[in-house]
Amino acid sequence: MKRFWIYVVVALTFISCEDVIDVELPEVETRLVVGGILKVDKSQEFVDVRIAMKETSSYFEDNQPTQVESAVIYYGRPTRDGLFESLSFSHLIEEEPGTGIYIPNSNFTEDQRIRTAYVEPGITFIMEITHKGRRYYARTDYAPAVPLDNLEQGDDTLFDDEETEVIVSFTDDPEAQNFYIFDFGFGEFQAVEDQFFNGQEFQFSYFYDSNLNVGQDVTVSIWGATEDFYNYMDLVVEQTTDNLGVFQTPVATVRGNVFDITGLDNIDIFDNVERPNDYALGYFAVSQVYSQTITIQ
Amino acid sequence: MLKLDGAKWFVSIVRFNFVFLKKPIKMPKHLLALLLALFGHFYVLIAQEKYTLSGTVSEATSNETLIGVTIAVTELRTGTTTNEYGFYSLTLPKGEYRITVSYLGFQDIVETINLNKNLKKDFNLAEEAEELEEVVVTDDAERLDIRKPQMSVNTLAAQTIKQIPVVLGEADVIKSLLLLPGVTNAGEASSGFNVRGGATDQNLILLDEATVFNSSHLFGFFSVFNPDAIKDVKLFKGGIPARYGGRVSSVLEIFQKEGNSKDFKVNGGIGAVASRLLLEGPIKDERTAFLVGGRASYAHLFLPLFDVNNKAYFYDLNAKINHKINENNNIFLSGYFGRDLFSVNDKFVNTYGNAVGNFRWNHLFSEKLFSNLSLIYSDYYYGLELDFVGFEWDSGIQNFNLKYDLKHYLNDKLQLNYGIQNTYYVFNPGKIKPNSPSSGIVEEQLTKKYANENAIYLDVEHDLTEKLSVEYGLRVSQFNRLGQDEFYVYEDNNPVIFDPFTLVYREAQPIDTINPGRGGTLKKYLNLEPRVSASYNFNGKSSVKASYTRLAQYLHLLSNTSSPTPLDVWTPSGPFVKPQLLDQYAVGYFRNIKNGRYSFETEVYYKDIQNRIDYIDGANLIANNAIEQVILNGMARAFGIEFLLRKNEGRFTGWLAYTLSRSEQRTPGRDLGLDTGRSDLETGINLGEWYSTPYDKTHDLALFGSFDLNEKWNFNANFIFQTGQPTNYPIGQFEIEGVVVPYYGPRNKVRLPDYHRLDLSATLTPKRNQRKKVQSEWVFSLYNVYNRKNAASINFRENEDTGRREALRTSIFGIIPSVTYNFKF
Repeated sequence: MKRFWIYVVVALTFISCEDVIDVELPEVETRLVVGGILKVDKSQEFVDVRIAMKETSSYFEDNQPTQVESAVIYYGRPTRDGLFESLSFSHLIEEEPGTGIYIPNSNFTEDQRIRTAYVEPGITFIMEITHKGRRYYARTDYAPAVPLDNLEQGDDTLFDDEETEVIVSFTDDPEAQNFYIFDFGFGEFQAVEDQFFNGQEFQFSYFYDSNLNVGQDVTVSIWGATEDFYNYMDLVVEQTTDNLGVFQTPVATVRGNVFDITGLDNIDIFDNVERPNDYALGYFAVSQVYSQTITIQ
Repeated sequence: MLKLDGAKWFVSIVRFNFVFLKKPIKMPKHLLALLLALFGHFYVLIAQEKYTLSGTVSEATSNETLIGVTIAVTELRTGTTTNEYGFYSLTLPKGEYRITVSYLGFQDIVETINLNKNLKKDFNLAEEAEELEEVVVTDDAERLDIRKPQMSVNTLAAQTIKQIPVVLGEADVIKSLLLLPGVTNAGEASSGFNVRGGATDQNLILLDEATVFNSSHLFGFFSVFNPDAIKDVKLFKGGIPARYGGRVSSVLEIFQKEGNSKDFKVNGGIGAVASRLLLEGPIKDERTAFLVGGRASYAHLFLPLFDVNNKAYFYDLNAKINHKINENNNIFLSGYFGRDLFSVNDKFVNTYGNAVGNFRWNHLFSEKLFSNLSLIYSDYYYGLELDFVGFEWDSGIQNFNLKYDLKHYLNDKLQLNYGIQNTYYVFNPGKIKPNSPSSGIVEEQLTKKYANENAIYLDVEHDLTEKLSVEYGLRVSQFNRLGQDEFYVYEDNNPVIFDPFTLVYREAQPIDTINPGRGGTLKKYLNLEPRVSASYNFNGKSSVKASYTRLAQYLHLLSNTSSPTPLDVWTPSGPFVKPQLLDQYAVGYFRNIKNGRYSFETEVYYKDIQNRIDYIDGANLIANNAIEQVILNGMARAFGIEFLLRKNEGRFTGWLAYTLSRSEQRTPGRDLGLDTGRSDLETGINLGEWYSTPYDKTHDLALFGSFDLNEKWNFNANFIFQTGQPTNYPIGQFEIEGVVVPYYGPRNKVRLPDYHRLDLSATLTPKRNQRKKVQSEWVFSLYNVYNRKNAASINFRENEDTGRREALRTSIFGIIPSVTYNFKF
């Protein structure tokens, strides 16, 4: 709903004028950023594990890849008290030195890749990373998705003729409260929950701005999401949507689920409350993904 | 002669209220003692031979009652002013007195009165002849009252509001208030106003005694009050009398005109944004008068800017009838209806607005006891249709309000105001339904909420000595959050969970849903709200005043944006959301210079608010059926010093206002009462540190001047300078899935560039043609004369075309000329 509101704002700011200005930003220390969203395509044999390790940068510069001392994913089906009877491991190694992209290590005797057949609802994934002497930890549950029923181009516009309408339809899973992330490409996302269309065949329009050309392919994906991941992506979208400063929500640092566990001993350090500035950014999620592609007419 | 009708009435009201509450509230012992002491005191005071002079003061040509007219008794150096309904009452020892009735802009009436019995005397004031040397523009209502303990009040006359140059020439109550000390807003295109560092939802806006929930049209560009229909605007920033309650920052009281009961009159205007028309006149005879006013902006206001078919317009209607039944009874029926409509291509249709209806009955029990009964219905509606998602959305708030207010003029030294108030609320957080059979949306009504708020109050205005006056009172308010259909229950009664590792707050899952039903009570709050103010005047020219105010606010506007949007919904206090409680202390120095030609006032204030709600990061407030899951109770504080120098008379009038202030809020981590031996279980919002509110403006300077050159031309100017709004610059960025996400340090640490602008306007009144009845007027205005690009925001984004990241400044209004034509006949 937040997003729809933004359309009003766009229309309202007609009187306003915009110009690019120079702003000096403070220098700060870099932080680890974990790009750990694993997309599970059930038609493939293995999960495409590619985790991007980067370090934050000043707003006007790009994040630089970084190397970690170790990165391991372990996964299994937890018992009721959250413990595991057995765990599988996937040790990661940098794909090419200097890229900061980590993939399953093929130097092990056992296959470190994760089979999609094993990835089912109820499976929990844990990732542990050591970076510059600090240890980080993240835990997430596999989130299934539903396939897209249809993707087609419409001919409506909302604000100007340059827009391209794409109509997305899917059928929600009636059994559970579901959370989805829609990836429209071009770094445009929308977090959706099924509160108002539970179990329904649901259709909505997405309007691309003017930058689509005839003949161009557009891929729309639906990702399954845990409630926590939904909240995270919702906040990412909120914090990055250009609402021109009108009806602006307070800025926030979008904290993910990768946190610092260095020295957590349950004796002196129980949690991170007293060291709120020790944190990593990014997210670790395992989401089922369905995609469809259309060519813009 | 002894009359204790006041006491009798008070007792019966208290009784009535007890019946009304069903469960009696126990009156605290000290309150009872106070009441007894007071009435005992009166006994002594009244036991002399005294008579009462009372009546109504109105304007001679229209019979419109006048508020704040001074009735002075020369011999006793005492006097009074007329109340909101033009009524006055003075009780004096038997004798012959010279009475002066004066109101700036009107000819004084001086009359000798032999007071040897109770006397009823109505006065009709005639406007001063317009001789150029004596042209007066300000209203007496704006004059500084040195003697009265009431402080922190600013009054604006309708005439002043019309003179202040504004954007697009549409005279505007709220934009005019922003020129007063201690009043700001969050920016040019933001709705509402902030008083002494308070939030916009902390202002009680009363239109003819009815609460108005949203004061803005077109998302804040204009306010909902038709300037033609307004008689008087009064803003209480502190020292709020006990008869008001329910909002912690301010009371904006607006009275509409009653209607001319002598002649049929029309006035109107054609402006760049909207046109206005107002009709008023008597019905049958002078005892009944009506007023009907309408204002509408031009449809398709923004049409030229887009190729597609879109509309944006607003309108409002004001209607009023008053009837004088007899000497002692007056009734008023009034209504307001306003709507905004905004639609884009019929795919996005958005309607919202207020509707207010009210019935009032003024009754004089005696020449000393004035009463007003108000029955008020008001509602705020918000509707939205999104065709491309396939749904319709309705939300709103309704309330039914009963007020009974009495003013008891015991003698020239003592006045009592007391009464009861009850308001019943229905909150509709939202109903969603499919807009067509093919829509996949499932109809759902978010759980409606119900509440009842009631209060009794007693307020005493007491001149202790010739120099020392006090006003003290107590309001006892009670809020009853009634049951609802679905109410969630949480583990440990905690709807917000904190993750001590990722330091993220998130929504808790309810463990159960109960159905308490509307008849039951979910939570009750009772608050004692004492109010005290005192003034000490030195020589009739200057005074020192001080006040303490406690106020409770039970309703909260759920708004997580820098300024409220029409979509924001109100929510009542309840088991998880506590009422906001304010303590305000203010001290001021007031001085009339050169017999009131100039006035100077300065005040220092400190405010402290408990239970100011704040939102967890990423909180979704719209269509949220469990708002408690995203709310934390925090606190707020504000302090500052205000200066106001005014020139009240002459060809040049105006004022200079300056405020130095700070406004902050803080939401520390909660202590959940878990016995862990540790106090810091949570980090809170912004790591529990104080941060500036979006409307915190360190320096705020406003200069307004109005100059009458001759009978034809009048010139006005205002200049505003404000410290830039607090904002945030990213301390860095990270990339996830190709999205560049900025991240931040502590909240609101940097500021936008300073805001300043100059506006000018000129009013041309062509010489009136004796044969024609129409009197016309042209207003030319120029907003932001030197075209300053004031930053409304500085945003950081990735340029869609170049892919480069940049800082983007948005400024709303550049230089804007406009012309308005007004007429009356």
